[in-house]
Amino acid sequence: MAPLSNQQVQTLGLAVGLNISEPELTEVAHGLNALLESMAEIDLPEVNLVEPLPLLIPEEEG
Amino acid sequence: MESVDIPFLSATELSGLIQRREISPLEGVDAYLNRIEQVDPSLNSYITVLATEARQAALDADREIARGDYRGPLHGVPVAVKDQIHSKGIRTTDASKIRSDFVPEKDATVLVKLKEAGAILLGKLNMSEFALGDPISSAFGPAHNPWDLERSPGTSSTGSGAATAGFLCATSLGEDTGGSIRGPAANCGLVGLRPSWGRVSRYGVDGACWSIDTIGPISRTVADCALTIGAIAGYDPKDPYTRRVPVPNYTQALTGEIRGLRIGLVKELLDTEALGVDPQLADAVRAAAEVLSGLGAQVKEISLPLVRHTGAIVRTITHTERVSLHPEWLRERPQDYHPNTRVAFMAANLIPAQVYYKAQKLRAVVRQQVLRALEDVDLLIQPTSSGPAAKLNLHPTKGSLEQAKRALVDGSFRAVYSLSGAPALSILCGFTSPGDGGLPLALQIAGRPFDEATVLRVAHAYEQNTLWHTRRPPI
Repeated sequence: MAPLSNQQVQTLGLAVGLNISEPELTEVAHGLNALLESMAEIDLPEVNLVEPLPLLIPEEEG
Repeated sequence: MESVDIPFLSATELSGLIQRREISPLEGVDAYLNRIEQVDPSLNSYITVLATEARQAALDADREIARGDYRGPLHGVPVAVKDQIHSKGIRTTDASKIRSDFVPEKDATVLVKLKEAGAILLGKLNMSEFALGDPISSAFGPAHNPWDLERSPGTSSTGSGAATAGFLCATSLGEDTGGSIRGPAANCGLVGLRPSWGRVSRYGVDGACWSIDTIGPISRTVADCALTIGAIAGYDPKDPYTRRVPVPNYTQALTGEIRGLRIGLVKELLDTEALGVDPQLADAVRAAAEVLSGLGAQVKEISLPLVRHTGAIVRTITHTERVSLHPEWLRERPQDYHPNTRVAFMAANLIPAQVYYKAQKLRAVVRQQVLRALEDVDLLIQPTSSGPAAKLNLHPTKGSLEQAKRALVDGSFRAVYSLSGAPALSILCGFTSPGDGGLPLALQIAGRPFDEATVLRVAHAYEQNTLWHTRRPPI
C-alpha cells in the first residue's frame, strides 16, 4: 500500500471538517501513514473470524 | 527527625510514624511543601499546589488521630494526583489551555476514596496535554526527570513520575491508557501499577479512551504501591464497568514467598535487533529473571506472537476513541492545542472505520494470547520499555514516516497489557552504566486479571532482594 500523499491527507481532512495545512500537514501524513502501514502489516487471516468484544460487560448485565 | 528528611521516607514509613504520633500530619505536609518550593521549579511536576487546603486537612487529621479516630495507613499521608482526576472546587486542567479554567463540582471516586482513607491532597500533577502521551505538550510546560533534567519523565503521567521520584509527595496517582503509569514509573525508577480494567473506578476522571483507561498508583516502593491501590480499588456504582470482585489486603500479600510460582519471560521483547531493545536493559531483565529464579520461581521463555504489533493496535483504538471527545474544540479552537497534540488529533480523525474495527478484533486476539499464556504460567515478565528515558525535545516534532512507525513499535512493550485488561506493574531493575547517564531501567510484571496481589507479591520479593530502590536521583 503506497503512503497517502500530503494532498490526499489534506482532502481527507476536509471531508471531516479539518483544514490541515503545512507545517503540520507533513507530520499528520507521517502519523496517519505509519498507523495505516503498521496495521496493514498485521496479516492474520483468522482475525476475520473473531468477534470484537468489550473486555467486560456492565455488572448489571452480567 | 529533621523536617528536611521527612520527604525521603517511604509512604509506609511515614504512615507508621504518624500512627505512633512521632510525626504529625502537619509536619509531614509542611516538609513536602518546603521541598516542593525548593525543587519543583526544576521539575515542574505540579500544576496546582494546594498548600492552604493541605495544611488544613493535616490539622484535621491530627485532631482525628489524637482522639483515636485513626482511619488506616494513609491517614495523614500527603499524596498528589494527575490533573486529569476531578477535584471538587479545584481546577482540573488536563494540562491544556482549553480546560485551564475547569473547576469540577465533584471529586472523582478515586479521590473520594483517598480522602476517606485519610490521605491529604498536596496538589494536582502535570501531565501530557489531554493524556496523549507527548512529553512536552503540557500547557504548563513539560515536567522533567529527576534523574536527568534534560530527559523525559515518561508519559503521560509526567508529573506523577517526576513528583514521586523527586520526593515531592509520598505516593501519587496516574492514569494509564497505553502505558501512562508504567512509562513514568520506568523512566523515573519507581513502582507503577496499571490495575486490571474494571478494578478501579474511572468516575470523575477525564477520559482518554473509555475502554482502556485505568487509574493506579505510582509509588517509590512496592509496599507504598500496595497501600495506594488498596485505598482506591473496588466496585463503584458510578462506573458500570467496575466489577464486584473482592479487594484483598494487598499489603498482607507482600509475604516475600514466591517459591513454585511459574513465570514466563516474553522472548519477543528481549530482541535487541528487531525491536531495538537497549542491550543493558535486556541484560538487566534477564538478571532480574535470575533473581526470581533464585527465590524459587520457575522461569521459562514464552511467546506472545502479536506483541510487537500491539503498539499500533492500541494507538488505533485509543486515538480514535480519544479524538471523539474533542469534536468541536479541534475545529473551532485548533490554535489552543499544543502543536504535537493538534497533529496527533488530526491524524486520529482520519483513521478509517474499518481499521479501527480491525484493531478491535485484534484486541480480542491479543487478549486470548495473553490469557492463554497465563494458563501456562502465573505471571509474565519483560522490559517495560525499549530503553531508558529519552532526551526531551522541546520543539514540536519534525519526524519521518519511519520514526513514526518506530514509535508505534516502542509502545508495544506496555500496550500488550492495555489491550488484554491484565494488571501490569513496572519496577526498577537496574541502571545504565555511568557513561550512559546512570539512568533507571525497568522490569514489567503482568498477571491474571484481578490478581494484582500476586503481581505485587513478586515485585516486592524482587525489590527486597535487590538494592536498586535504595538509590536516589541527584536532585
